[in-house]
Amino acid sequence: MYEYFVQIAAWGPSKAINESSWIFALVQAFHLVSLGFLAGSLLMVDLRLLGRGFSQQPLATVARDARPWLIGSLVAMVLTGVPQFISLATKEYDSPYFRWKMLMLLIALIFTFTIRKRVAYAPEGRFGGAISKAVALVSIGLWTSVAINGRLIGFFS
Amino acid sequence: MFDLALADYFAWLRSFFEYVSERETSIMLRESQYVMPWVFVLHVVSMCMFAGTILMMDLRLLGVGNMATPFSQVQRRLFPWQMAAMFFSAATGLALVWGNPMNYVTNIIFWVKMLAMGIAGLNALAFHFITEYTLVDWDAGETPPFGAKLAGGLSILLWANVIVAGRLIPYALTWFRTY
Repeated sequence: MYEYFVQIAAWGPSKAINESSWIFALVQAFHLVSLGFLAGSLLMVDLRLLGRGFSQQPLATVARDARPWLIGSLVAMVLTGVPQFISLATKEYDSPYFRWKMLMLLIALIFTFTIRKRVAYAPEGRFGGAISKAVALVSIGLWTSVAINGRLIGFFS
Repeated sequence: MFDLALADYFAWLRSFFEYVSERETSIMLRESQYVMPWVFVLHVVSMCMFAGTILMMDLRLLGVGNMATPFSQVQRRLFPWQMAAMFFSAATGLALVWGNPMNYVTNIIFWVKMLAMGIAGLNALAFHFITEYTLVDWDAGETPPFGAKLAGGLSILLWANVIVAGRLIPYALTWFRTY
């Protein structure tokens, strides 16, 4: 497995990012701006699921409004995340926080596009308040742990 | 010729930052191995909540997002979260500067961030005191007026600038020569 990471790090574009004094910095900065949009589009629905707002609109309407921004910001996160990964591939391989981040990201994505999606688009009243609240809290918890591990990669690896 | 001895004008600022750096709490923060990284983590998490709730309101102002909900509801519902997140962002940000004041006082990107935050605040106040009075005309409507779009667009640009500058602060040392 490690040899693949070595090959990724040795790839031309990876080296180009490392040799530039500004590409990595700007990509990182826009990763964070995308994170803002991602957090917002998740929170709109999670706050509604928690019963903390937008209760005059059907849940599915709030979710449908947030959807293009959720998908768009996820795409932007990947587009700005991959260049960071390839330029530091061998370092990321050794980082426990990178591994945790990827694991939590996978779980968060699966949760968001299966269970959370089903609850968010269900007809009003299909799922009880307790289930809705649990889904919102799990969603917030999973995505927060992705962000926390992401920030920690830079400190302790 | 203009001879602007900027360093002299800002001498009081530097001496204030120097004063902070000599406080016992500042030294403790600086020398702690684990506290500062975790303050950074909390700063990022608060930023997510703050930027997230601000940006979603801005998209509604621009007329490009969350259009099924009247603006007044988006604003009212997000407001307490925006304020709570602003409090945590400010508290963790203050702790970061308090622990390493001399890293920031001559950092041009840090001051760009502070300036952008100030202008973003003025933009929000201008919207609140001017454009918001016309709210009844467009609250649930399809397209907000120019003033509302301007406020939303400026807010997105300014807060994105704050986030970008915040991330770039450590690079100022390699990109610029500062005195």
